[in-house]
Amino acid sequence: METLYLILIDPFVQMVDEPSFLVEVLIGGLTSGVMYSLVALGFVLIFKASGIFNFAQGIFVLFAALNFVGLMDLGVHPILAFVITIGIMTALAFAVDRLVLRPLVNQDPIILFMATIGIAFFLEGFGETLWGGDVRPVQVGIPDAALFWELGFGEILVQSADLFAGVIAAFLVTVLALFFHFTPVGRALRAVADDHQAALSVGIPLNNIWVIVWAVAGFVALAAGIMWGAKLGVQFALSTIALKALPVLILGGFTSIPGAIVGGLIVGAGEKLFENFWGVPLLGGATEDWFAYIVAMIFLFFRPQGLFGEKIIERV
Amino acid sequence: MTRPGDILLSVKDISLRFGGVRALTDVSFDIHEGEIFAIIGPNGAGKSSMLNCINGFYHPQEGTITFKGEERRQMRPHEAAAQGISRTFQNIALFKGMTTLENVMTGRMLKMKASFVEQAFYMLRGRQEEIAHREKVEEVIDFLEIQAIRKTPVGRLPYGLQKRVELARALAAEPQLLLLDEPMAGMNVEEKEDMCRFVLSTNHELGTTIALIEHDMGVVMDLSDRVVVLDYGKKLAEGTPGEVRGNQDVIDAYLGVSHD
Repeated sequence: METLYLILIDPFVQMVDEPSFLVEVLIGGLTSGVMYSLVALGFVLIFKASGIFNFAQGIFVLFAALNFVGLMDLGVHPILAFVITIGIMTALAFAVDRLVLRPLVNQDPIILFMATIGIAFFLEGFGETLWGGDVRPVQVGIPDAALFWELGFGEILVQSADLFAGVIAAFLVTVLALFFHFTPVGRALRAVADDHQAALSVGIPLNNIWVIVWAVAGFVALAAGIMWGAKLGVQFALSTIALKALPVLILGGFTSIPGAIVGGLIVGAGEKLFENFWGVPLLGGATEDWFAYIVAMIFLFFRPQGLFGEKIIERV
Repeated sequence: MTRPGDILLSVKDISLRFGGVRALTDVSFDIHEGEIFAIIGPNGAGKSSMLNCINGFYHPQEGTITFKGEERRQMRPHEAAAQGISRTFQNIALFKGMTTLENVMTGRMLKMKASFVEQAFYMLRGRQEEIAHREKVEEVIDFLEIQAIRKTPVGRLPYGLQKRVELARALAAEPQLLLLDEPMAGMNVEEKEDMCRFVLSTNHELGTTIALIEHDMGVVMDLSDRVVVLDYGKKLAEGTPGEVRGNQDVIDAYLGVSHD
């Protein structure tokens, strides 16, 4: 009984007792969640447009951040460094298209997936060769101060950097969603994602579209890299954090942009809540590392296509 | 019924091999402007391969294809589309996640003049364009009588309607040459009649030249101005439906011939 009470009742009693703590935890969770969304978006973009699960997306985040920070350390202005890095990511998209995707066109998805693992290892090594393996702090002038907000039920503490990151990520996510749904290019991207042959026959040049998608994914990776970098410093562990996008995708559905967004928020908020109200008192903490994966596994049992994914119905 | 127009597309001595398999051998024919041209033949005769060569999915090893007086060898599908060739597929290739309207809009892709960047970010010119194209698309939708399903995701539509949406998408591109790969396959009688009506009115009212593959002989005889018959990748006969129907080789190919 005692254990059941601790698991089922006590956490909620605490939430009600200390609403300001609950709100703090939620805000913390949602702001990191929105950054998971950002990384997950990179995966979804490429998966939608080419049916490839790009294992290297996590490294893209790291590689983009490395270039950005490296350039800034050389004394380049942040805005210029940002632009140059976008250029680098676009060039990378071109290279991936020419050197990896085109020679492998019409191969099984698993072959392409293996190729992206290759890209991941290459970029990890290449990034380290170029910029070294040290942890580098990112200073792009994101204000970092502790803000105290007076709410009806008490005072809460919010990190302004977290808020800033959240707003930027939310903005990017919205722009991308609108871009996909309301512009002809977005329509072309979705068309390619849906059926390559049909897309070709209405005159969509497949190769250009792939370059665009990979470049956009690179841009998203850069944004995610800067945000994470500002929080944790640019280090090689970033690529592992980026893999948190996997459970996010399983939750939201691999083909859905809104899914990536909502999935990220659920995972972010869920793991912080679980950590603070269940993990620390009952399990001694450190649940954040695995909570998302357990949720993803449960989802795979009951809703394998994710919250927003297209349900696969085969007619027999 | 033959309306002699200028030659729109000329196929000359086309040979296509996949490894050791000869899909097409020395096939030649001309498609004239304004006609409905049928490609028929038993299963595996190379009909779809022929269409795929015309619209650039396959590149024949030998022979030439001349479209609008311009010879070309290695052409990619999107270039063929840009020149005014659009098509439908045997196994329906629609964008299943999109609505009917969005599917038909993709047919206008090549007519959009504003650059990618303009479309995406600088909305002014992109917006005006979108509206103009939308009007054209609505015309096509009216023409094929699919107003009622404009907002329905095509994955949910019945087979016959999906075929019609596919035709709408091809028509939205305002093609000069329309390739139809088995437009009536798997349809019931009413759906076939509807489709025949649309094919005919496309030809008569819009003046579109049509090349189609079809197995239903009744349909072929009714619709087409001229017919080419393929068998084992070779041309067996060419002519009006009446001429082809009387051809002994064609009868043999379809009914089989005793080798004694």
